[in-house]
Amino acid sequence: MKVGEPEEFIIDGKRLDGRRVDELRPLKIEAGVLKRADGSAYLEWGGNRVLAACYGPREIHPRHEANPQRAVLRTYYSMAPFSVYERKRPGPDRRSMEISKVTRQALESVVFTHLYPMTAIDVYIEILQAQAGTRCAGITAASVALADAGIPMKDLVPACAAGKVGGQIVLDLFDIEDNYGEADLPVAIVPRTGEVSLLQMDGNLTQEEFEEAFKLAVKGCMQVYEKQKEALRKRYGGSKE
Amino acid sequence: MERRLVIPGEEVAEGKVKLGDGVYRDGDKIYASILGLLDTARGVVRVIPLTGRYFPKVGDFVIGTIKGTVYETAWEVDINCPYSAILNASDYYREVDPFRTPLRRIMSPGTTIYAYVREVTLNRRIYITMRQRGSRVIKGGRLVEISPAKVPRVIGRKRSMISMIVKETGCKMLVGQNGLVWIRAKPEIADLVERAVKKIEAEAHTSGLTDRIKEMIVKEREKYEGR
Repeated sequence: MKVGEPEEFIIDGKRLDGRRVDELRPLKIEAGVLKRADGSAYLEWGGNRVLAACYGPREIHPRHEANPQRAVLRTYYSMAPFSVYERKRPGPDRRSMEISKVTRQALESVVFTHLYPMTAIDVYIEILQAQAGTRCAGITAASVALADAGIPMKDLVPACAAGKVGGQIVLDLFDIEDNYGEADLPVAIVPRTGEVSLLQMDGNLTQEEFEEAFKLAVKGCMQVYEKQKEALRKRYGGSKE
Repeated sequence: MERRLVIPGEEVAEGKVKLGDGVYRDGDKIYASILGLLDTARGVVRVIPLTGRYFPKVGDFVIGTIKGTVYETAWEVDINCPYSAILNASDYYREVDPFRTPLRRIMSPGTTIYAYVREVTLNRRIYITMRQRGSRVIKGGRLVEISPAKVPRVIGRKRSMISMIVKETGCKMLVGQNGLVWIRAKPEIADLVERAVKKIEAEAHTSGLTDRIKEMIVKEREKYEGR
């Protein structure tokens, strides 16, 4: 059931779901779950359930979208009708188109697109169940799917949000905190170089709060990064020659 | 030799080394760009892919299907990769005059061929030829699709795996670097070979594979012959 606004977000240093302020929700990633796609990943992050599939590089259709210099990365973020409390009308809408775009930009910076001119790399992100932070979950799953598809990239892209609830900066907001909190700050980074490939903010933060939240989110990203690597190692770990 | 599994972004080498496929340089350090096994033999750092699509290299034999003709003088061939290949009329195994006999009458769309990658241009135009020894039109039999990353295992070192399968089953078999395997034999034998190929694909990472596959073929062949 959908919960109304809580009176307090943090009681005795514990959040409503029992986490500390700098603790992630339990995260589980599995690579290579789909047979038909070139690469795929399934992710469970608290109440989020996300499936990402990657195809390509493949011939681009419609042809006029082809770029003779590099591959075109196309991302499709979509929420299942049953992913939220109130049925979501299926199909693209303003929100999912925005998320598709920021996801594409977050991933474009790491994929070596110039190696495959005139082709498309398609990434499909399906949100099966949502509990806030789905864009971060989507980017995290998508970059595992890209690596699973054998696509050359600079690094994996982990994403994680931080935010402010009840006057306190917290890591990885879940739905109640996201709905009634003061701010949400999703961040995606390229861990090796520390570059930021996604940075959005919803709500208000002072400059000091922003910096604190940003640092916390980056710390969260590094934890997510470890899980991504673990998932890929698990999938291919038995491989040796 | 033990090869380490690397993940995109992982540091694999440092300083002055030759770069192979699947790695990139940033400053003084070398990082993996694809998921695969790190190979540093012969002074070249490269990553052997474990997944991924096929990309044509000059010198590969591929199995392709004619899609149609372009410009009346060339065939367009689907070789299971992001770019379709071009087979010029002059690259057909014998002399043909495309202005006298339309090419689609020589090889109609849907024809399967075993061809050689002659040239890959900078803008990813793939030219294949049937003038190379071994190339031919494929008739009958069946095509099995496997992951292109596993093809070297199906061929085996110095073709050991293929030779063994052909010797033990008496089937006709061609393996394209693009992940297509053609098998022609009696249905029971073809089934057996197909299963063997799938087993090789599934167990590509293990050692002593040729012997295990041989064992499997011999055992199952007896079952079939015993009936």
